[in-house]
Amino acid sequence: MVKEMTCIVCPNGCLLRVEQDGEEITVTGNTCKRGETFGKTELTNPMRTICSTVRTVFSDIEVVPVRVSAEIPKGMIFPVMEEINKVRLSERLGIGEKVIENVLGLNADVILTSNILKEEV
Amino acid sequence: MLKYDVTVIGGGPSGLSAALSADRANAKTLLIEREASLGGILKQCIHDGFGLLRFGEKLSGPEYVYRDIKAVYETDIDVSLLTFVTKTEKTDDGFILHLVNRDGVTSVFTKTIVLCTGCRERTAKQVKIHGTRPAGVFTAGQAQNLVNLHGLMVTKKCVILGSGDIGLIMARRLTLEGAEVMGVYEIKSEPSGLSRNIAQCLNDFDIPLHLSTTVKRVYGHDRLEAVEVAKVDEKMNIIPGTEEIIPCDALILSVGLIPENEIAEDLGVTLDRFTKGPHTDNSFMTDVEGIFAAGNCLHVNDLVDYVSENGALAGKAAAEYVKKERKYAKITIDRTLGYIVPQEIDLTTDLSKVEMYFRSFSTVKNAVLEIKIDGNPFMEKKYMVVRPPEMEKLVLDLSSAGLTENSVISFGIVKKEGDING
Amino acid sequence: MQLKKINENLEKEFAGRVSASLEDNIIHVTGELDSWDDVIKACTMASERYSKTHVVNDIRFTGAEIPETRVPSLNDKALDGKQVDVLVIGGGITGVTVLRELSKWNLKLLLVDKEADLAYHGSGRNDGQVHCGYDLSKGNLKHEYVLKGNAMYDKVCSELGIPFKRVGQYGGTLSDSRLAIKLFCFVKKHFHGIKDMEYLSAKRLYEIDPNLNPGLKFGTLNSSVGVVSPYELTIAYGENAIMNGAEISLNTYVKDMEVFDGVINKVMTNRGDIYPKVVINAAGVFAEDVAKMAEDRFFSIHPRRGTNSITDKKTGKYVKGVTSVKYHDPNAPKNTKGGGIIHTIHDNLLLGPDAVETYEKENFETRQESINVVFNKQEKACDKIKQSDIITYFTGVRAPTFEEDFILERGRAVKNIVHLAGIQSPGLTAAPAFAIDMAELTVNILKETMEVTENTSFNPVRKPIPCLKDMPLAERDRMIKENPDYGIIVCRCEEISKGEIIDALKSPLTVPTVDGVKKRVRPGMGRCQGGFCMPQVIKIISETMGIPEAEVLKGNTEAFISFGKTKGGEIDA
Repeated sequence: MVKEMTCIVCPNGCLLRVEQDGEEITVTGNTCKRGETFGKTELTNPMRTICSTVRTVFSDIEVVPVRVSAEIPKGMIFPVMEEINKVRLSERLGIGEKVIENVLGLNADVILTSNILKEEV
Repeated sequence: MLKYDVTVIGGGPSGLSAALSADRANAKTLLIEREASLGGILKQCIHDGFGLLRFGEKLSGPEYVYRDIKAVYETDIDVSLLTFVTKTEKTDDGFILHLVNRDGVTSVFTKTIVLCTGCRERTAKQVKIHGTRPAGVFTAGQAQNLVNLHGLMVTKKCVILGSGDIGLIMARRLTLEGAEVMGVYEIKSEPSGLSRNIAQCLNDFDIPLHLSTTVKRVYGHDRLEAVEVAKVDEKMNIIPGTEEIIPCDALILSVGLIPENEIAEDLGVTLDRFTKGPHTDNSFMTDVEGIFAAGNCLHVNDLVDYVSENGALAGKAAAEYVKKERKYAKITIDRTLGYIVPQEIDLTTDLSKVEMYFRSFSTVKNAVLEIKIDGNPFMEKKYMVVRPPEMEKLVLDLSSAGLTENSVISFGIVKKEGDING
Repeated sequence: MQLKKINENLEKEFAGRVSASLEDNIIHVTGELDSWDDVIKACTMASERYSKTHVVNDIRFTGAEIPETRVPSLNDKALDGKQVDVLVIGGGITGVTVLRELSKWNLKLLLVDKEADLAYHGSGRNDGQVHCGYDLSKGNLKHEYVLKGNAMYDKVCSELGIPFKRVGQYGGTLSDSRLAIKLFCFVKKHFHGIKDMEYLSAKRLYEIDPNLNPGLKFGTLNSSVGVVSPYELTIAYGENAIMNGAEISLNTYVKDMEVFDGVINKVMTNRGDIYPKVVINAAGVFAEDVAKMAEDRFFSIHPRRGTNSITDKKTGKYVKGVTSVKYHDPNAPKNTKGGGIIHTIHDNLLLGPDAVETYEKENFETRQESINVVFNKQEKACDKIKQSDIITYFTGVRAPTFEEDFILERGRAVKNIVHLAGIQSPGLTAAPAFAIDMAELTVNILKETMEVTENTSFNPVRKPIPCLKDMPLAERDRMIKENPDYGIIVCRCEEISKGEIIDALKSPLTVPTVDGVKKRVRPGMGRCQGGFCMPQVIKIISETMGIPEAEVLKGNTEAFISFGKTKGGEIDA
């Protein structure tokens, strides 16, 4: 099986050709090692990060940005979004602090990506 | 009146870097920001992918910019938030800036200015969209702000015009938040955004991309009810009979960015007709002595990493600025390039590491960038592919190029000979 | 014109499909046509310019469905049972000027408009020119009131705190006939009362505006021509009326009237029934519909669309006043206004409008053809302005009668209505003047049944919202120290502060929408068209009015900006 795909690891966006022959997967078209890894996982178990916001209890800042701390399976994007959408943050947390720990058991946390709640304006 | 060596106008990524590097060069530095907090547009760019070149990490916009904000507050840089430059005056040895903020109207003197004013989005009327004027027509940045910072759901079912990166990013953001994106329409025959964004923002979510298609009209008296799309020919004229009405509740526009250079123009800075940003030399100084420009007001970048880098160079140059006689070599491009920055070389500076940025005019595979000095080949650089959406950076050593006053350095892209497959 | 002759002409043109009849001094044109242009043609053939015998269009138009009047979704009883002395229908310049003049008397006054703000139709969608009337001849209402109105503008605008500038109108011609132009100027000045009419040599023309295209032979100048923001003026008039005791109810539309024995007893609206002593019909393109409800329909309005473009302030330097080039175009339709180039009161340029007959009274769509028509014409005057300089464009719909004059009179079949209809250009110029006379007429009608006394506490002065960017630095500094919100710039293009936006929200006629704020203090009027400031304006409206951001509207009741919040967040973390 041969699949063409755009590598999303970096802005170069190399066009990869990923060939599977039994257990053997070969990646061509990549210009770095990360591209090869991407090609292989993309074929077997594509992974993504997602970024969104969570609601807060604070009237000055009603939503704050979050992301997953590690990649999650592509198929879990919407289930994780559902979890994110349920959250209402009641503490003024900052960058890197966890909002959901080990979301849906995927070994990734949902973490804040902004210090906006801590800023004095 | 407070006096500064360097005043940076704009507290986005280029301004933060400019201020930090001016401070490192021991300049007394003022950083002016219009909004209530530093960070510029990155505050609302909550998606990840920033900082791969600079930090080797995939950060979100707020995370990326926070590193510089934190650094700025650890220095002696004066930061003036919620402050707007209303007027600028040139004096013999510098500039007077009139500022308005919550404390009133003040003036500061500065020896140099670094313009880091970023860019604005082209609007619906600037791309000749006609029809009614309903609610529900947003620029991508507006939609991004309302969704990411205000937590408002601006659409349930939308059409996106323009395949620039912001448009693609918004297609994914809105989908994640539960909206249906009917399609991304692009008037050009090629996408304007990065390939990886086509892959991860559209393909991942089965959002169709329609090339050579544009939005002609919008319908709906109060709230948008539909848009009319139509195919265009090679000259981007609408092909009659290809019109199609698409019911939706919003039109999101990602139809280009325009460098914001109103302050520059007030100061008499000449703008380049290709970049729409100031005409600068290799120190990123404009043709008005003492005024520098960096980041997206200089030219629209695709990557914030380059914006930061460019800001740092301009900030350093501003800090080291001394008034002196200068000699210039000119830079020209032929029609194979969309633009190049800078537009001239100051021969009195260190020419061993001249940073340049360019875009090709069209997509060329197996391309060769040819650089000539006064018509004589100077060097060549090969590219697997050059594409208009992807800015290329060059670092040239021109110290031994034998440049003299009025030398002309010309740039052009040719296809590698002997290659017929490209 | 004789009825017989009209019918002969109609017969010749339409082969029996339409005919005219005369009844109660009204010319009814009846029949069936499938082209709107033909409808206009037939009615125009039956009409006589400036005549008081009006054409009523009763032709069945089969070419398309004429859209229903748009109405707000609101339905309540807020005005139910209300008794007023005067009910003004229509919140354009016509309605508000009369309302304000009437507030000089002790009267119960109510103005209703179906839109979410004043000046939503024609008064908010025109070029803001204060005309001199040089294109009009003596002997009609337009001519009479354009001269009186023009002369009032300095006083009115200074009372109401609205910027107004006499920028002058000048134009060149490509014609060779110097004598014809000199004669035209002489006749206008000495026989038609256009006192400021001046002939210009080419040399003087280019002295006035060196940016005009070369090649113009001679020109004319009218230094009394001015520019004003038409919606700002309309709102200011409305606010001043409110300050003096009048009421304005927006989002209120008149559904019907109860008329008995030539008297309107009751006016039914979506907000309840109103009992007025006198009704003023200032309903613009809907004036015929209001006349019909009042059972006093003796004229017809035929909507005429026009599109204007606004260019970046950077182009403002090219044209100092109001200009256009006169050239003979034998193919131009009779009522076509090719428009001109106008240096607006806010220093943009405005180009237009064109003129297209339409059966749609409130279709404000723009079309590229209109922009092209205007630019093709205006590039003959100044070719430095390009379509790429456009920051926005908009369409307005004029409300002319077939006789093309104003109607300013008491009802013909109904005693307690005053019609101010057929008000189109130069209606903005004329309104301050005819409003005085129409207020007097209204008071005289009221005096037939009641005593009317003067409002001795009438205050003609409306304090404007301060415009910080135009202030001297020391004054601006003082204002900011008093109110730091004046120091927070929200709209970067137009340099509008948060304080000014809050002032607009606390003005006598609060319209807490993005468009309402934009019309009053201009955030979003600049080159980025609200790209940066719109989210901030939403926040300020939300904070000031105490409503959630999700409920802030763009304009009308259905013009919602968002569908609520992105997500619920039901579980605390």
